This record gives sequence, structure tokens and C-alpha cells, in this order.
Amino acid sequence: MSQSDRSSRCPFTTLQTACQQTTSQKTKPQKTKPQQADDRQAGHPPTDPPSPAHAERRRFLKGASLTGLGLGLGFTGLGGACPARALAATGHGEDVTSAPQQQDAELRYPFHGEHQQGIVTPRPATGMLVAFDVLARDRDDLEKLMRVLTERIAFLTQGGRIPERDPLFPPPDSGTLGPVIAPDGLTVTVAVGDSLFDERYGLASARPKRLQRMEGFPNDALDAARCHGDLALQICANTLDTGYHALRDIIKNTPGLLMVRWKQEGTVPLLPPAPGDIDGSARNFLGFRDGSANPDGDDEALMDELVWVGRDHDEPAWAQGGSYLAARIIRNFVERWDRTPLNEQETIFGRRKMSGAPLSDGAAEGREQDVPDYTLDPEGKITPLDAHIRLANPRTPATEKNRILRRPFNYSNGVEANGQLDMGLLFLCFQADLEAGFITVQRRLDGEPLEEYIKPVGGGYFFVLPGARDDNDYLGRSLLAATA
Amino acid sequence: MKIPKPCKTSKTWIAAGTLGLLSVTATAQAAVAPEALVGPVADYKLYVLDNLEQLVTHTEDFTAAIEAGDLAKAKALYAPTRVYYERIEPIAELFADLDVSIDAREDDYEQGVEDPDFTGFHRLEYGLFHDASTDGMKTYAQGLMADVEELDSRVQALTFPPETVVGGAAALMEEVAATKISGEEDRYSRTDLWDFQGNVDGAREIFELFRPLAAQEDADFVARVEDNFDDVEKTLADYRLDPDDPQAGFESYDEVSDADRRALTGPVTVLAEDLSTLRGLLGLN
Repeated sequence: MSQSDRSSRCPFTTLQTACQQTTSQKTKPQKTKPQQADDRQAGHPPTDPPSPAHAERRRFLKGASLTGLGLGLGFTGLGGACPARALAATGHGEDVTSAPQQQDAELRYPFHGEHQQGIVTPRPATGMLVAFDVLARDRDDLEKLMRVLTERIAFLTQGGRIPERDPLFPPPDSGTLGPVIAPDGLTVTVAVGDSLFDERYGLASARPKRLQRMEGFPNDALDAARCHGDLALQICANTLDTGYHALRDIIKNTPGLLMVRWKQEGTVPLLPPAPGDIDGSARNFLGFRDGSANPDGDDEALMDELVWVGRDHDEPAWAQGGSYLAARIIRNFVERWDRTPLNEQETIFGRRKMSGAPLSDGAAEGREQDVPDYTLDPEGKITPLDAHIRLANPRTPATEKNRILRRPFNYSNGVEANGQLDMGLLFLCFQADLEAGFITVQRRLDGEPLEEYIKPVGGGYFFVLPGARDDNDYLGRSLLAATA
Repeated sequence: MKIPKPCKTSKTWIAAGTLGLLSVTATAQAAVAPEALVGPVADYKLYVLDNLEQLVTHTEDFTAAIEAGDLAKAKALYAPTRVYYERIEPIAELFADLDVSIDAREDDYEQGVEDPDFTGFHRLEYGLFHDASTDGMKTYAQGLMADVEELDSRVQALTFPPETVVGGAAALMEEVAATKISGEEDRYSRTDLWDFQGNVDGAREIFELFRPLAAQEDADFVARVEDNFDDVEKTLADYRLDPDDPQAGFESYDEVSDADRRALTGPVTVLAEDLSTLRGLLGLN
């Protein structure tokens, strides 16, 4: 697809409609007829399954919370600022964990909505999790914190010119992104930890039912300095610079309210579009594609079942629209892994390393997207019963409810005392039910052969607050109201 | 015609994106006349000189105890002596060579404690509290005494720049935020709370001297700073060995609970943010 093709496909009238949906837009719009017509123009027969380009356009439409169309309105308004450029269709990038393929600085995701951003949003090239102790002295302070967070995130994710100030004073912005902040695909997702529901703020009665302090699993070696927190921010963007800028902005604007407890950033490799490329999940530092078989973030019904807390999830009413975040810092022993035979690596995972295809008995190598049929392999002759992907997702009717939406990043922190690289996976996953989701999956994985090469050292469980609906709403409002 | 009052500096934020004026920088229009700063700056110099005099006297006793091999006395005098240095750090730091030889920590040297350039209070702290001995400390004690006397004479001759004085309040709170909360300053003696209080005292002295001027500019700001100073001092007071006797000092930093470390971090951070605007508020560059 040529560049001109892409720009000519920008459905202007639909855009304007999307502009008006700042308060109630769904994170993912349904497939619409004009888009199918678009596909025909691009040479896709209408009977084709939705192409990756198609998915990109859908994201764009859903992301377009617009107040205008490039008329210089990219200022500091909290609501919809205008993307100067549309999210260009790339012909790639179907799932949340598909390898990112573009670094468009004008990529802008809507802040307001039923759900927070940064969950079903396609994963960009960089992400970090920052856990905080909340220093707020009382509920009023806590409300102030939530309002400030909301206001800063609304600004940072939409971008705009930074305020100036009398140069005799410290500048209000770090300036690390220059005078105009590009949204750069930034999302900031706010989640709260179990400890926020202690005696300090009177929230105990509203604690989400599955929210708990993360306990060590048998293979864990948890470092207290990198565990838990009253509040966590997942900050994702095309570049780490944008994430760091957002973090520093938030720290500067919340003195006396937040104290950083730990932070872990990571990246996923960009996959430049290439002719004939197969859409694939980005690779982790073990060299395997990570995110295969992730539930489809575009499937709203599935997300309502697996990711978003809804009426049917037996949670407090205030929590509807939220989600559970399980975060894990998982060290990879990469030197040892690199000294492990390929066959063993693939057997441990249950996938081919290069293609990401599930193991099969046929001569022809499959694709990452192929679905293994374990009913044909009850004894694990093709995919061992303790292979990572088979334990994580046995693909039985009974285990469908245990599926989680993964959104991990690779991290590299430096060097251990033994001269080995401190690298691994910042594992992030979202689910409507923490017990049925991450905790159940991890229990199935306990004792897996992969454990010899990995060591979880930190992380925590958090509850992602419901989204802020509009300019009058703020993150955490429903929680505070429920305990007023 | 009514002449508009100069903008209060705290109100000079330019709303971003307005009217294409974004590249225009607001000019400072300080309501504080430079002459108004003369009195407080002179008062501050008296405060510094008074503390320096105390520092010299206490250092004489401290180093004498070391030279006499009186370990118990030397350990007891370590923290009460340092306090006078910690209070006046913004001025003392103007003489970088002396600040290094008096107050550097082992982290400042690649070879740590073994580094031949590592001298001063913290080298003595290591000997007295880690090695529990005055052996080999005589040279360091004599060096410290000479450095403190040199500092005293240099400061006597120093003209105090107003921006350094006013900026000193923020500098002291940065010091607290960076090295006192974490308890890394006095890691062998665990007397961090003495230094903590010394930094706070020094910052508050500066703030109090300029408070009337600051209050003319922003009364809310002044009230908030006072509140946060009070909060910090209240938490510190909980760890005083004798509430009625400031000289009795503080408990070991090991005794400070995690909850109190957090309780200190909040107001300390707000003070650091707020006091970072004090120079601007008073129209100082």
C-alpha cells in the first residue's frame, strides 16, 4: 500500500462524527460499512477477514476524539485535542501485542471514556510501570491527588504547548520534549494497590474483591524494594523520552502526595513494515514471540468478559469499567538460555522460535497464529504437557475464563555482580478477575521447565480505576463517592 | 489614571496556546525593592557567623577528644558539632575545596573509605563508629580543625549574595530530600536526625528572615511553607531524646519508622518545591 493510498483512505466525514464522541466513545468501534467499502477500494474482496490495515483504521476512528481538524487547536485543553495526523494504516499490527511498526509522534489516544487507555490500546515500543507510596494525609488530599493526576494525564496524552513562566522561577515543565509536547502515543493508566484500602483513607469497604497483596510463587525471589505500592502508573509511549517526561511532570505536580517506590521500564522491538512480512508478536529477550494467542483487544464482547469488570463480575459497582493489573519483573538468565539447545528451548515454550508457530508433527512449519489442538496430542508427544504455552493456556472450555490480556515489555537494567546481564520481562497483564486470570495461570505454570531460566523478582497486583468519562469526571471519583 | 500594579510573579503563568504569544517570555516585575533585601541578608550573615563561631568551638572540643584518644567523648561530640555546619551549608558550600575536605562522604570517592583524599567529618565518623577507635584519626582531626578555621576566616570576608542566601533555603531542603530521608548521610553513627534538624533550622532561618517580604507577594505561599515546616519539626520532635532539652539530640535513624519516613517525605518535598520559588517571588535572579 502506498503512502498516498493511506492518506486518501482517511474517512473525513466519519472523523467529524468521532469528534463529537468525547464522552462516550468506546475504546474500540465496531467494524463499519464505510470501512468495508474502503477495503474494496484497496483491492481486498469484501469477504476477506479484516486486514491488519483495517484494524489500524478502526483504531484510528476510535482514537479520534477530535475537536477540530488540524486548525491549530493542539493546545492544552483537557478534552479532545486534534491529531494533526491520522494514525496511518500500515498494513500491520493486528493485536495488542503485535510488534509496533511506527513511531508517529502525533499518535494520540483519547483520554476520556468508560475505560482507561493503555490496556486494549496497541502496545507501543516502550512502557514502564511506576509504583508509588501515596503520601496524602487524608481523603481530601487523596481526592486532590486523583484530580491532579487526571488533569496532568489528560494534558500529557493529548499534547500541546508547554506553559511558560517568569524565568526567575523554575520552569513548570522539564522541557525535555521541547516547547511543544507531541502526544507520541502516550498512555498513562492509573491503578491502585491493596494497601490503599488500609485504614488511612476509609476505603476498606470498597476494596475490589480480588485485590490482594501479591504473594511469592515457588520460583519467585521477590525483592521488597521492587514490590507492591499504593498506586501504580503504567506509562507507555513510542519513545521512553515521552514516558520519562510524563513521569517527571506527574512527580513535579504531586509533591507531598506521591513518592516513587519502584520503577521498571522496558521496550519492545519495532518491526519496520516490509513486503510480505507476517504480522507477528514482538519478541522477548529469550528470542520468542511474546503475546501469541492473546485475546483480541478489538473484540469488545470478549474484552467485557475477560478484561473489564462489569455487572456480572461480582465486584463493587464503583469498580465497573476497571480491570486488574498483574505486574511482574521477571529476570531472564539470558547467558544460560543462549547456551541451551534450540530444540530444548522450543520444547520448553511449545513454539518454534523463529516463526512462533505452535509445535506440530507435520513437516510444514505453521504460523504463529495457528491454534494448537491438544485433543489430538493428549500425551504431549508434540507439545509436552508442561510446555509453557500448554500450561498457560490449555485451550479447554474450562480454561477459557482464565485467559488474560498480556502487554509485556523487555527490560535491561545493567549488570549483576556475577557479570551476567540483568535482563528480563516486565510482564503486565490485565483481567476482569485476578484470581481466575493471572493467579490461576501462574499456579498452572508453577514448576514449569522454563523456571530454570527465569526468576520473578518484583511486581504487584493493582486495580485499574474506571475511566474518567469527561472533563467533569476524574479518575477515582467513583471509588471516593462509594465510600463518602 | 490608575497605574496597574506590577504583576505578581506568581500570577505570570501564560496560558499556553493563547493568541500566538507563546514565544513571548514574561518579564519579571518584582514588587520587592532590592534595598528591602539588605536587612535580612545582613541578619543572615550574623546568623552564619554565629554558627561558625559555634562550629569552631565545638570542633576544638571534638578534635581534642580524638587527639586525647577519648573515644566515648569523641563519639558523643560528633553529631552536636556537625549541626552548625549543616545549618550554614549553603554558605559553606560556596567554598567547594573546603566543603569536600570537611563534609565529603565515602561515596564521593572511587576507592571509598580507602581513598587517600577522603577526609573530614565522615572519615572520622568511619573511624569512631565503624572501627570504634581513635587510632590513626589524629591527622584527620587536625585537618578538620584547620579547615573549619579556614572556612571561618573566609566567610568573615565574604559578601553574601542575596540570591545565594535566599536560594539557600531551597538548597537545604534539597539536601534533606536527597540524603537525609534515605539515612545515608551518617550511616555509621546513625545521627542523621541531627543533620536533618540542622538543615531544617538553616532553611527556616532564611525563610523567617524573608517571610515579611514574601508575605507581601503571596500570603498563601507563606502560610503553606510555615505549615510544612511545622509538620516536619513535629515529626522530628517525636524522636528527640528529651523534649525539653534540644541539646540531648535525637534517637538513632534506625528507630525512625517507615511510616514516619514517609510522613517526612511529603512536607519535605512540598518545601523543596515551594522554596524553589522563593528567589523568583522576591524578584531575585
